[in-house]
Amino acid sequence: MIKLLNISKIYHPDVAALKDVNLHIKPGEFISIVGQSGTGKTTMVKILTGEERASSGKVLVGGWDITNIGQREVPWLRRQIGVIFQDFKLLPKKNLRENVSFALEVCGNTPTKIGSIVPQVMKIVGLEDKQGRYPHEVSGGEQQRAAIARALVHRPKILLADEPTGNLDSINANEIIELLLRINRFGTTVVLVTHNREVVNKLKRRVITLDNGVIVSDQEVGKYIL
Amino acid sequence: MVFLSFLRIIKFSFQDIYRNIWLSIVTITILILALFSINLLLAVRVISETAISAVKDKIDVSLYLKPDAADEEIMALKGQVSNLSQVKEVNYISKAQALEFFQEKNKDNPEILQALQELGKNPLTPSLVITPKSAEVANELIGELNKIESDLIESQNFSDNQLLLDKINSLTDKINEIGMIISLIFIFSTLLVVYNAVRVEIYTHREEIGIMRLVGASNSFVHMPFLLSSLIYTLIGTVAAVFIFYPFLSLLQPYLANFFAGYNINVISYFSSNFIKIFGLEFLAVALINALASWMAVRRYSKV
Ligand SMILES: Nc1ncnc2c1ncn2[C@@H]1O[C@H](COP(=O)(O)OP(=O)(O)OP(=O)(O)O)[C@@H](O)[C@H]1O
Ligand SMILES: [Mg+2]
Repeated sequence: MIKLLNISKIYHPDVAALKDVNLHIKPGEFISIVGQSGTGKTTMVKILTGEERASSGKVLVGGWDITNIGQREVPWLRRQIGVIFQDFKLLPKKNLRENVSFALEVCGNTPTKIGSIVPQVMKIVGLEDKQGRYPHEVSGGEQQRAAIARALVHRPKILLADEPTGNLDSINANEIIELLLRINRFGTTVVLVTHNREVVNKLKRRVITLDNGVIVSDQEVGKYIL
Repeated sequence: MVFLSFLRIIKFSFQDIYRNIWLSIVTITILILALFSINLLLAVRVISETAISAVKDKIDVSLYLKPDAADEEIMALKGQVSNLSQVKEVNYISKAQALEFFQEKNKDNPEILQALQELGKNPLTPSLVITPKSAEVANELIGELNKIESDLIESQNFSDNQLLLDKINSLTDKINEIGMIISLIFIFSTLLVVYNAVRVEIYTHREEIGIMRLVGASNSFVHMPFLLSSLIYTLIGTVAAVFIFYPFLSLLQPYLANFFAGYNINVISYFSSNFIKIFGLEFLAVALINALASWMAVRRYSKV
């Protein structure tokens, strides 16, 4: 599903965020990426979403070579990859339902399609009863659920989560991880970037550990080892 | 699908204007101020140019003729002068007409009239009053006139004219030059202000732009609502500027008419007869600058 071949990312001549990274993620996997701050985890996510280009190497997403993806093609990539972040990135002036349907509107979907997809994803994330609330009227966990719902509207094959629990207490964090696992069970490949030792150890899934831009460990049933 | 996107772009655009109504008002106000001051500058230029050309129109050269010159000879000379390429028109002032003008000019001066009466005959000479095609060719004209050899000509008033002409020409050149520089600086800074206003407007939408890109909106869909908004701002701004500027001109007009009494200065009619050219061009220029600003700013915030 995702192939990184000899990927390096050099921001400045003396800042190499990723060094010769090789990674193969199979369809339907749930993979965690851990590592200390500044080791290139977010950089890896940005390369996968087309926000940054690798300095060298090759990137394949579902067989599509996105190594040198053009600005015009990025939207098509984004419709195949859902992304969520630590800071949710919801629009404060729209309620949760509007935030979710916005993603479909700006991609030119018909009202009929929007009307059928939005309730479905809201149900998946368990926000049916809070659709009319604004982001500031719900908890952090619920905001992240809305962000997940939005990431799901294009029925992506891949969901990238860059520290999705970073702003949440452990109860809310666990609920989000549960939700990601459930989405993974539907067949979506999930890539989870996290600092949370407890979460990783409980998952008992594949864990990649990055250190200083290099993959230092890749375990099928991994533990947080830093 | 295309139609749907079109409707949504309009919807987003109006939402954007409406939800940030204060910022929209500020942006439009800046546009109005910018357009108002540019039009003011234009009015000032129209006034100064009219004044300059009024002064230049007053320039003429006179050939004073022998008092006993025969009419046919004078007419022949007149024809010869009229044929010069620098000449706009030639007026023959006969002895009798010269006296009339003189009396009219000195009608409040009884002593001079008295003296004239005592003289018993008409002491004035006939003359040809020559108007050059423009002030710029007046000197050339004088050169040509100097070449004419005719014993009809008694004297010319060329010499002081030449000096005055040079002064007028260099002064008006300078006025035009300085006016041009000031205008350019002014227009440039106005455009900069407008450009910046649009950037600020879009800065407040950076989050939204980022999210649009994040969820896979195409480039054109991200750009369009903002381009449309800036077009709407431009339209409102231009129309408002027209509605503010005209009453302002009508307030100004009586003072101008008073100040330039005797000259035909009408700024309102200038703006009216060039309405499409002036305001259409301003609309286009501002729309272009707005679109550019919008496009650059959106592009900047959509790099995610
Ligand atoms: N746009 C950029 N320009 C220059 N350097 C950058 C840029 N983005 C990231 N870096 C550098 O690249 C390195 C990796 O950054 P990255 O954001 O990928 O780390 P991370 O693993 O996500 O860290 P964290 O856990 O704190 O989020 C860091 O040294 C960072 O300073
Ligand atoms: Mg990071």
